[in-house]
Amino acid sequence: MAVKREHELVPAHEIMSENEVKKLMQEMGVQTYNLPKILVTDPQAVKLGAKTGQILKIHRKDGENEYPYYRYVVED
Amino acid sequence: MFMAKEDKKQDQATQVAIGEAVGTVAAQSIGEPGTQMILRTFHYAGIESTIATSGLPRIVELVDAKKKPTTPLTYTYLNDNIKNNFEKATDMTKRINEVYLADVAKRVVESFSKGTITIVLNRQEVEANDLTAKQIASKIEKAFNLDTTVEDRRITVNVHTKDLRKIRSTTTKLYESVVSGVEGAGKAVIRQDKKTQEFYVVSAGSALEPIMELEGVDKSRIYSNDIFAMYRVFGVEAARNSLIKELKQTLQEEQGISISDRHLMLLADAMTMSGMIKSVGRHGLSGEKNSVFARAAYEETVKHLINAAAFGETDPMKGVTENILVGKQIPLGTGAVRLTVKKEDLAKLKPKKSKD
Repeated sequence: MAVKREHELVPAHEIMSENEVKKLMQEMGVQTYNLPKILVTDPQAVKLGAKTGQILKIHRKDGENEYPYYRYVVED
Repeated sequence: MFMAKEDKKQDQATQVAIGEAVGTVAAQSIGEPGTQMILRTFHYAGIESTIATSGLPRIVELVDAKKKPTTPLTYTYLNDNIKNNFEKATDMTKRINEVYLADVAKRVVESFSKGTITIVLNRQEVEANDLTAKQIASKIEKAFNLDTTVEDRRITVNVHTKDLRKIRSTTTKLYESVVSGVEGAGKAVIRQDKKTQEFYVVSAGSALEPIMELEGVDKSRIYSNDIFAMYRVFGVEAARNSLIKELKQTLQEEQGISISDRHLMLLADAMTMSGMIKSVGRHGLSGEKNSVFARAAYEETVKHLINAAAFGETDPMKGVTENILVGKQIPLGTGAVRLTVKKEDLAKLKPKKSKD
């Protein structure tokens, strides 16, 4: 079910471009499939229209600080 | 980014070194205070009619990723313009509160000769729930597609058949039909926040979707202690956050045990790693480890070894457990680093002459 308004427990999700992904993978020295995963059927992934194989950047909040978290979109 | 000198110091001091066994530290940090937890739950007298599971049973429930919690609760917050209005909040409580026909009916009489079912309503109960006989009748008409006639506080349902069995089964279904409120929401109670003075509704179910469709509900704050309900409606990230919230609440607020958030965050991250909520244990995280030896060392040893042999599995020997098992150095701390020498540099080395 689609959620119209952002929920306080849901941090902002964003689809990363291919270039960004390439750069990130080089920086971290890992493969995309090594990242934590998110299902394509996940409400947030559906909302963004994410496709399998893409990477979602999640802007998590930790008190005052914000830090990125990455999830690899996988098939259900 | 600006950072005070002291803050920077603190920040550096709390950074984790490479090769640190964070998982083990987290497990011990949660496990040790867990031994001091009180099994006894506190009983509140008065309005708090719903007592949520707390203490150790609740922690076990969360960590095991139970599909249905023993006491699901939904916290419905109201939009800013009505959140301080007691009447509007009471109205919302009535709209959510799930009422069955059995709750408002005094008695139900079946007439097999006429093929009708007569429901005699309990006036007090009907009025307490802000209902009228007509409303109830129309609800029944919609749900069962049957004709009804209302006469004061009697509702006569025409079943159009004289089949005994059909009449009886309709009666049982009638008893369980919801006449008012949100289906699956359970009993709802109004409460007031001690700090902000706002009113909110607590209901004993985890039906988030239908409640969110009601007008006046703040969709950005609705919350359920059912992690799977949050996962279904808002996704993994929300599930992770509510998992942390629930663990923290159970440990810190109810039991007075304070654990650094980092440990709980690591636990929740590990549980939601696969995009789904996995339990910690045989059927979840531990049972899905890459290494055959690590799985065999945990539980169901023979099963894992036989399966590995039958399917020709290979063990990359990268984890801690399997390396302890075979007596190799574990990849943690100083064991996590390897020494390599360039070939050219090796050639430069000259053998030392031994003295004897």
